[in-house]
Amino acid sequence: MPAWSEEATVVARNLKKSYGDFEAVKGVDFEVYRGECFGFLGPNGAGKTTTMKMIYGVAIPTGGELKVVGLDITERERDVKRRIGVVPQENNLDDDLEVRENLLVYGRYFDLPKKVILQRVEELLDFVQLTDKAESEVEHLSGGMKRRLLIARALVNDPDLIILDEPTTGLDPQARHLVWDRLRELAAQGKTLILTTHYMEEAARLCNRLVIMEGGRIISEGSPQELIERHVSPQVLEFRAPTETLERLSPLVQDEADAVEQTDGALLAYTADADTLLEKVRSAGVAVENTAYRQTDLEDVFLRLTGRSLND
Amino acid sequence: MKTYVRFPNARGSFRVWQREFTIFGKYWKTLTFPNFIEPLLYLAAMGLGLGAFIQRGGINGQSYIQYIAPGLLAANAMFAASFESTFNTFVKLKIDQIFDAIVTTPVNAEDVVAGEYLWAGTRAAVYGTGFLAVLTIIGFIFLPNQLLISSWWALLIPLFLFLVGVMFSVMGTLFTSLIRRIDLYAYYFTLVVTPMFLFSGIFFPVTRFPAPVPQIAWITPLYHAVNVCRDLANGPTLGTLADLAWVVIFTAILALIPIQIMRRRLIS
Repeated sequence: MPAWSEEATVVARNLKKSYGDFEAVKGVDFEVYRGECFGFLGPNGAGKTTTMKMIYGVAIPTGGELKVVGLDITERERDVKRRIGVVPQENNLDDDLEVRENLLVYGRYFDLPKKVILQRVEELLDFVQLTDKAESEVEHLSGGMKRRLLIARALVNDPDLIILDEPTTGLDPQARHLVWDRLRELAAQGKTLILTTHYMEEAARLCNRLVIMEGGRIISEGSPQELIERHVSPQVLEFRAPTETLERLSPLVQDEADAVEQTDGALLAYTADADTLLEKVRSAGVAVENTAYRQTDLEDVFLRLTGRSLND
Repeated sequence: MKTYVRFPNARGSFRVWQREFTIFGKYWKTLTFPNFIEPLLYLAAMGLGLGAFIQRGGINGQSYIQYIAPGLLAANAMFAASFESTFNTFVKLKIDQIFDAIVTTPVNAEDVVAGEYLWAGTRAAVYGTGFLAVLTIIGFIFLPNQLLISSWWALLIPLFLFLVGVMFSVMGTLFTSLIRRIDLYAYYFTLVVTPMFLFSGIFFPVTRFPAPVPQIAWITPLYHAVNVCRDLANGPTLGTLADLAWVVIFTAILALIPIQIMRRRLIS
């Protein structure tokens, strides 16, 4: 039984976006339901940010349909933007304004009554633990504080839908955990969250459902657990040895494992039964210096689907 | 996808104007000072310095300092609005990405541009009011026989300078909307702003030169702004309305163009 309702907050049908001859998004279909946390994963250039931008109205689709909070984004852009909150990938806080002023001025863009803004700003400063910094200049904040302020700013209009483009990129582990806590709390309040991330751990921890994009298309969709079950075996053995040893090991592992990947200095064997596989390798008498066993995770899925080569 | 002309919304434009006003409220003391001093320097150097060498009788029966003072009001408005709509707008557009943050709210890109026009007009009017007050006082104290501002119509000058500010903001924003690099403003200031400052009838009457000098002056916006300021300072005529109409029509025709181009830069 899903925790979210079946009512769709975002519906995309064959959604496309081209810049001149370049097709950034080549026809994607997805639905985001009310109250869920929905993730977009994919290598750089996969079309994640472009899709986000279409959802919050700063990129105009060149094909297909897109409904956000039940409204057509191209026809009702102001009404859509009134009900969403956006945490952009790059910091675009107002450096001419102090921390509190950033929120006050932003609240005015939504035509909220002054009383409502004043009260909400104090609540939000508390929510993101910046009350002590309310009178600080933005440029004196740490990266983590700036990101929290961006999150507070995105909440100033009490949005139904919050869109976060790489919310924890560049943050240290403490700052990242604090952001995760806040996002989980928002989800618990029933907000719909859409986020992009490069961190599989983040996606696995936060997202109810996610899609993996590559080359402007969605190549897989499901809950983190579903994706792992669908694309990789539950366990993985990592053999580390000189290349010639791995060469000898390879045919044996190929026969036994569900899938094998060879990288520089390591052989990854995906299997449902790691013990048996390890026993066979040992009995074959191949000397492997270093063997690691672990459960497969979303990162394995991601690398399996999008490859190990660089995408820049 | 259909494309059509976008119009700004008053409420959204006001919110953008309000942001600028909030920031101005914090920093006005440091912001205002240079804009205030610069026209006084011109007035001293040209009006008193050069003016001392200009024959008695001056221009059109006025002393030289009387002649140039109202024109400097118009030039001051042009400089204030030009800096606002070039360097300042460029920073908000490309460096600080202030506009990117605003357009994800119910305030649209077209409101951002219109709000910036209005702010440039406001800034021009605020500076102009201060400078006008100084000119009036200087006249009363030091030049009682040749007041720099001699007509009650001068009370309308701040309002007119607002319009002049909007006009030069539209021009500056048009240039900003077309360039990718901040150093290209050297072209705008050297080839557009400075020539207008020198040849729009502030320092000498261009109409007394042979063709095509008066004709060239007629097509420059500052020329008409200078005429209106001078007329309001000394008492207007029917001809003032023609210059005013030129400013209004020119601004109205041009205003929507930067809005469309800037929207395409902010919304892809």
